[in-house]
Amino acid sequence: MIQIRNLQKSYGKMQALKGLTMDIEKGTVFGFVGPNGAGKSTTMSILATLLAPTSGKAYVGGYEVTSHPKEVRKLIGYMPDFFGVYDNLTAEEYLDFYGANYDIPAAERKQIIPQLLDLVNLSHKRDAYVDSLSRGMKQRLGLARSLVHNPEVLILDEPASGLDPRARIELREILKELRDMGKTIIISSHILPELAEMCDVIGVIEEGNLVAFGRVDEIYAKMQEQRVLRIRLTGQLEEAMTRLREMPVITSVTREGSWVVAGFAGNDEQQVELLRELTTAGYPVAAFNEAVGDLEDIFLEITKGVGS
Amino acid sequence: MNVLRRLRNPVLFNEWKLRMRTNRAPWIILFYLLVLGTMTLLAIFFMTNGGSYYKPGETRELFMMLSIFQLGMIGFLVPGLTAGVISGERERQTLSILLTTNISATRLILGKWLASLSFMMFLVFATIPLYAIVFLYGGVSPLQLIKVFGFYVVTMLVVGSIGVLISTLIKRTGIATVVSYAVVFGVAIGTSVLAEIIRQFIRYQNRMNQVTSPPNSIWPDLLHSINPVFAMLNIFEEGPVQDLSSFTNAQSFWANVDPFWNYCLFYGGLTVVCLLLAIYFIQPVRGRKRKASAGEQ
Repeated sequence: MIQIRNLQKSYGKMQALKGLTMDIEKGTVFGFVGPNGAGKSTTMSILATLLAPTSGKAYVGGYEVTSHPKEVRKLIGYMPDFFGVYDNLTAEEYLDFYGANYDIPAAERKQIIPQLLDLVNLSHKRDAYVDSLSRGMKQRLGLARSLVHNPEVLILDEPASGLDPRARIELREILKELRDMGKTIIISSHILPELAEMCDVIGVIEEGNLVAFGRVDEIYAKMQEQRVLRIRLTGQLEEAMTRLREMPVITSVTREGSWVVAGFAGNDEQQVELLRELTTAGYPVAAFNEAVGDLEDIFLEITKGVGS
Repeated sequence: MNVLRRLRNPVLFNEWKLRMRTNRAPWIILFYLLVLGTMTLLAIFFMTNGGSYYKPGETRELFMMLSIFQLGMIGFLVPGLTAGVISGERERQTLSILLTTNISATRLILGKWLASLSFMMFLVFATIPLYAIVFLYGGVSPLQLIKVFGFYVVTMLVVGSIGVLISTLIKRTGIATVVSYAVVFGVAIGTSVLAEIIRQFIRYQNRMNQVTSPPNSIWPDLLHSINPVFAMLNIFEEGPVQDLSSFTNAQSFWANVDPFWNYCLFYGGLTVVCLLLAIYFIQPVRGRKRKASAGEQ
């Protein structure tokens, strides 16, 4: 559905994108992860036909974004990270205005708008002025606006930023519904666990480079090549640490109170062997577990050192 | 049906709705009519010596005064109404969303431009009763009255298009407004200043070459004819430009055209240029004119 080929964008001497290349298949929920200024919004703006790349190509539904912006705009629904609304319009009028901008006939708009308001749980605010809506409600209204022409692709730039936890949960539920409707969704966020729950594929971008790309479980598996073991001992901590350092499968050893934290580069059998060795040697092991890395850890691990 | 759909402009309708929903609109209308009404009624009072008698020649002057004052009000209000139409959308962070919809740059610019101008036209046409009072005293022909309103429309169109262009080029509304006023002021004063500079330069050249006949170039008067104040005076057969065809060497097309039409043609052209530039510059990505082809990658 979306192809990006060697995409570059420069603002003067600053290179925001340095040859980004990736493919997003139809019906995929793609999470675009990266710190502020990494190039997420630039990529999304290019896909939304709001920005011309310095070089490279981007295609949406087979249409190149710079040469066929009109065709691309029909396929996409775009929600920027910060967007304004017309305060003197009601929620219904707001959607009606954008529906008219997409040349949807008035009779059809009358049918679509209640459905959209229902989808984003704003039916009760139909006649309320946009000005009177909370930030979360405005965000949901913005999402309904991006769906008014029933686009195949949704480009959502940091849709959860600035929302309270409840509003985030509501937004997540709506996005799950959209995923079930078969929309291709590109969503950027730095709230990584949220993306892990929702996305099929994630791409990590750092300083204009794509540093990781793949299915969420694949990236987890890749990260687990380097496991972290946490061992609690009731005594002989220093001796146990010395013993661990001598083992070839241990890459690092640190102490956190009564816990020893060890980097482990081995498989499950080697892990079993390590535990047996410690207990046979008489070290008082009270707990032995593998630290589960979350998406935050993955992100930090992947992006460490990039740009340094 | 298709033609009607093409002509329908959601941006224009939305702007009308938004503009008339604020408290600002009725206050502007009230202020505008109050200023013009007070000025006209006071002028009538003094010119008729408290309503005892009047001279048709003086009411003609009153009509001219009212017309020029209204022209000044247009020059004062239109840049303020139009200089924020695009930059305001940008500041409100609604422009990027609009640009990703099906609405074309042409419809967007025309919608914004017409919405601002329609409000100004509403103000101008709301002053017709004032003109009717003045017209009652005589001294002005119906053709002159029609020309005056035609003149307002042309002036509004061009000042509005300059405002929209500047609003497209400059991101901040405050700066766009200041620049729009500066450009409008520059056109209002600059054309005549330039005309006089050219006239004096020709005189100086003639003196140097010891030519005794008066300067006979059409350019200073052509420039005066596009000065809004002088062009307005010309409708009443006053001011420095009256008959361009009096020039002995005036063989050009312009010499035989009524200066009123010179004004309309020049500013009509400038309006089109400004709007085309605004349409060009507002497009973030300009699509190439070739047939869309899927799977071209």
